[in-house]
Amino acid sequence: MTIHAYWRIDPAAEPARAERRARQQGPRLFRDVRTAAIFRYDYYAQLAQAAAQTAFDGLFVAYRPEADDSQIIAAALARETPGLALIPEFPASVGSAVYAAKQAVSFQRATRERLGWAIAQPADAETRARDGDHVDENELIARTEEFLAVARGVHGARPFSFKGRYFEVQDGGFDAPLNRVRFPRVYLQGDSEEALSLSARAADVHLFAAAPTERLRSLIEGLDALALREGRTVAFGLVQPVLSRQFSDEAHRDAARLGLGETAMVGDHAEVAGRLAALAALGIRHLVLTAPGSLEEAYEVGQHVLPRLRALTETLPVAA
Amino acid sequence: MTIDFYWRLPTHGCHSSLRHGGYDRGDWSPLGTHNVAPGLDRQGRDDGFRYIDHLAEIARAAESAGFIGGLIPSFPNTDDPWVISPLLARATRTFRFMIAFQPGFLNPVHAARLSASLQRATGGRTVFNIITGGGGPAQLWWGDSFSHDDRYGRTTEFLDVFKGVWKGEGFTYDGRFYQVRDGGLSPLLSAEDLPEIWFSGSSDAALQSAAKHADHYLSWLEPFDQLTDKFARVKERTAALGGEQKCAVRVDLVARATEEEAWRDIKLGFENVDEARRRQSRGGPTDSVGAARQQALRPSEARRYEDLIVAPNLWGGFNLLRGGPALGIVGSYEQCAARLDELIARGADAFILAGTPHLEEAYRVGEEVLPLLGREAPALLRAAE
Ligand SMILES: Cc1cc2nc3c(=O)[nH]c(=O)nc-3n(C[C@H](O)[C@H](O)[C@H](O)COP(=O)(O)O)c2cc1C
Repeated sequence: MTIHAYWRIDPAAEPARAERRARQQGPRLFRDVRTAAIFRYDYYAQLAQAAAQTAFDGLFVAYRPEADDSQIIAAALARETPGLALIPEFPASVGSAVYAAKQAVSFQRATRERLGWAIAQPADAETRARDGDHVDENELIARTEEFLAVARGVHGARPFSFKGRYFEVQDGGFDAPLNRVRFPRVYLQGDSEEALSLSARAADVHLFAAAPTERLRSLIEGLDALALREGRTVAFGLVQPVLSRQFSDEAHRDAARLGLGETAMVGDHAEVAGRLAALAALGIRHLVLTAPGSLEEAYEVGQHVLPRLRALTETLPVAA
Repeated sequence: MTIDFYWRLPTHGCHSSLRHGGYDRGDWSPLGTHNVAPGLDRQGRDDGFRYIDHLAEIARAAESAGFIGGLIPSFPNTDDPWVISPLLARATRTFRFMIAFQPGFLNPVHAARLSASLQRATGGRTVFNIITGGGGPAQLWWGDSFSHDDRYGRTTEFLDVFKGVWKGEGFTYDGRFYQVRDGGLSPLLSAEDLPEIWFSGSSDAALQSAAKHADHYLSWLEPFDQLTDKFARVKERTAALGGEQKCAVRVDLVARATEEEAWRDIKLGFENVDEARRRQSRGGPTDSVGAARQQALRPSEARRYEDLIVAPNLWGGFNLLRGGPALGIVGSYEQCAARLDELIARGADAFILAGTPHLEEAYRVGEEVLPLLGREAPALLRAAE
């Protein structure tokens, strides 16, 4: 079976790294020859290269409103990483669904269809008001659903007309050559009942949050049943914090230092690979792996965990 | 005094020559053996290049030839400027990305974050051409059913919010189209410079909105007297609000070593346009005042390319040879430079130039025309006083 492993870039993490304004001010002993031309996006590009060279399948770029935007980062890196899938996360409140589809089409055309869409979960009411988003709390799921329906609608048909609560379009849809690319794979998230039933109707992949195996098993079974009722299949994914070292005690020591949460997978390389393989056996095919310290950990995981994981999962029966 | 010259990135494919129709750069026309980006390999298969690879070539040519950046247009069947700009950010060094953009299509707070992130990705090379749409079926295609003047009201409010959140935290706004409570960009993002705002639109509503928010008012080329009046009006209106408006003009050029060679390209191009096309007025139904002004420039019937010469070196048939506005400048390098000088004397503070093919012509215009500028302008300016 094929496991899709993505490395997650968190634009807000390690805020001082490669950040011009965060450089040490005043006198310093070392001769500093860095110019303004060395800057944060070089670091993002380096992360992308790290993920590519250690054989990840793609990059998941987290939505962080206080830091660089995920879609800008994904596009800025796209031409430097010819093989990687690029999955920016963004909320359904960004604007017109037609325009979002148009942008997706351009991205797909330029990158040989490497774009994915990860829809971020809606923010709380106060944040939404700060962001000029006034859709009512209990309509947020409906808005996301309509956003996807309209974006897929104009992508899939010409002419496409629709008049909904949040979006409308008349005789829309793309002409050649814009109509020749696939719609990006859509990743949805959230463990609530409404989120799962939305995924049953609209997700290509549902990304669960990291959780104990038994809980994941029951969530997967639940979503599977919901999707079946909709006559659809939804692939399962997981956002999993990991910390892997040569020896388990080193991993636990560093996890304590870095403050990883309870759901993080901490252990030696074989142990982490084994636990990920166990998740794969539950049916999880898309792994968004994340760790504090994205560059160093990308190598740790990419060089030492992924090969073990692939060796394990390739011997698992296909039916699993 | 120096003047900003921009080039243009054609987002709907490009032709290797104005002499014939059809796009042989990009995939907007059926791929022939001479097509590029994508091209066909010897087995007739897609060679793997994408149109973005050609756009990267044009952008690099423009920055190397002395242009400050390029306008990136946005229409239903083009690639999108918000995607093109970050895709090319790391392939260019000084090229400024002028994103043509209808504000109604993005949440203004999100747009401010995108812009600040793009400023960070490019070292401050983001510029906007704020457009407000031409109405009619094309507007509904985009999913926008607002009327002409409401669209401009929304554009004004969008820019209020866009600039407001850029100042940092604690921004509240209660408009007709947008409301924000206690919003603002994070310090990381708001530390970036606000992108320059260029603004297109010829109607009264457009001028009003531009007077409040635009750094540059942008017009298509019009007959020079008409354009002079328009620029004077725009500058007056902004002055009345206590501001100062720069004016810019978007000009197609066919510049050749001799005038005769330049007209020869026009003649050959024109002869390839079929009879029906020569007669029909371009474009669908629109509520755009600017588009109507362009259409009014053309006689209802043109048999010879000469019928479309509206003034020395000014030809009104460009929209027969490619999509876009009708009027452009045709002539020798010296004549082209002299016409641009004349526009400067009449109030143009900046330019967006274009020529086909955009890649080779960026070098030609940069090398042959731009260095000639300024010879006529001082004399013309004195004459105007
Ligand atoms: C220089 C220039 C460039 C323009 N570029 C675009 C464009 O890329 N996409 C678009 O839809 N409209 C474009 N427009 C058209 C304007 O958005 C707008 O539709 C038109 O000016 C209607 O407004 P008006 O009635 O105020 O003239 C452009 C206009 C000008 C003058």
